[in-house]
Amino acid sequence: MISVAEPWVEAPLKRFVDDSRVTFALLIYPSGQVLGQSGFSRAVDVMSAAALAAGIYATVRELGRTLDGRGFRDVFHAGAKRRLYLAEAATPRGTCLFLTVFDEQSSLGLVQLYFEELRTSLAQMKVQVPDAAPMLDENFEVELNRNLAMLFGRAPGRRSITPTS
Amino acid sequence: MKTNLTPIISALTRQRGVRGSLLVDETDGVIIDATLHVGMKGPAFAALAASLYRKARLSADAAGLGGVTFLRLRATEGHVCAAGKNEMVLVIVADARANIGLIRMEMLKALERLVI
Repeated sequence: MISVAEPWVEAPLKRFVDDSRVTFALLIYPSGQVLGQSGFSRAVDVMSAAALAAGIYATVRELGRTLDGRGFRDVFHAGAKRRLYLAEAATPRGTCLFLTVFDEQSSLGLVQLYFEELRTSLAQMKVQVPDAAPMLDENFEVELNRNLAMLFGRAPGRRSITPTS
Repeated sequence: MKTNLTPIISALTRQRGVRGSLLVDETDGVIIDATLHVGMKGPAFAALAASLYRKARLSADAAGLGGVTFLRLRATEGHVCAAGKNEMVLVIVADARANIGLIRMEMLKALERLVI
């Protein structure tokens, strides 16, 4: 089941999940705040995954800069049964991180194929952003908790963002 | 980038009507080596072809038919042929005028050389 904190990510995220048959998908800001998710049933799991994904991203970006002069764009980790893919995507709200976990029902090639479509869709979204307050400020934890509450149906939407495409 | 597998892969594209040949990891759906005509979307095709082969293999297994030795998909303008072994899939894209019997024989021979 898909839930989103901002409505414009719902359609592309749903298409990605339907096509690629992944187990979990999570779209977050690099700060760790959540835009949308699929597959998670508990807010605490989303919060943990978002924080860890943001940490991995920050680490590999710096590692990439050290080794290659620029940050790595995506990360793939193959576990015994599940695999993890983490990549960045440009959106109208800035760069976001996309974390997905998949098993033998999908493959890295399929995830990369459909992620490129998701990345293109997100980049082409035209979103009105009436509330342009910075995400990282002293209210970070309040914002994070509000987003998680929205994802799991415990709070009304804070932002009134209208998709125009 | 050429690998030691490249000569075997590229030899298949010398068959009449063959537009490309790819060696793909069945689990990950990514290209191990490939020789493709200009304009072919290699990574996308590899991912989808590996998924198709994997599902065919699982279907044959579920039906009690044993392993898939050769898979042929016939489309309006050509063929996709796949044969796999040891989690690798050899995939050929060929146009409608290709001699599939000959291609099949060459693919199975190539597969033996690739997975020793």
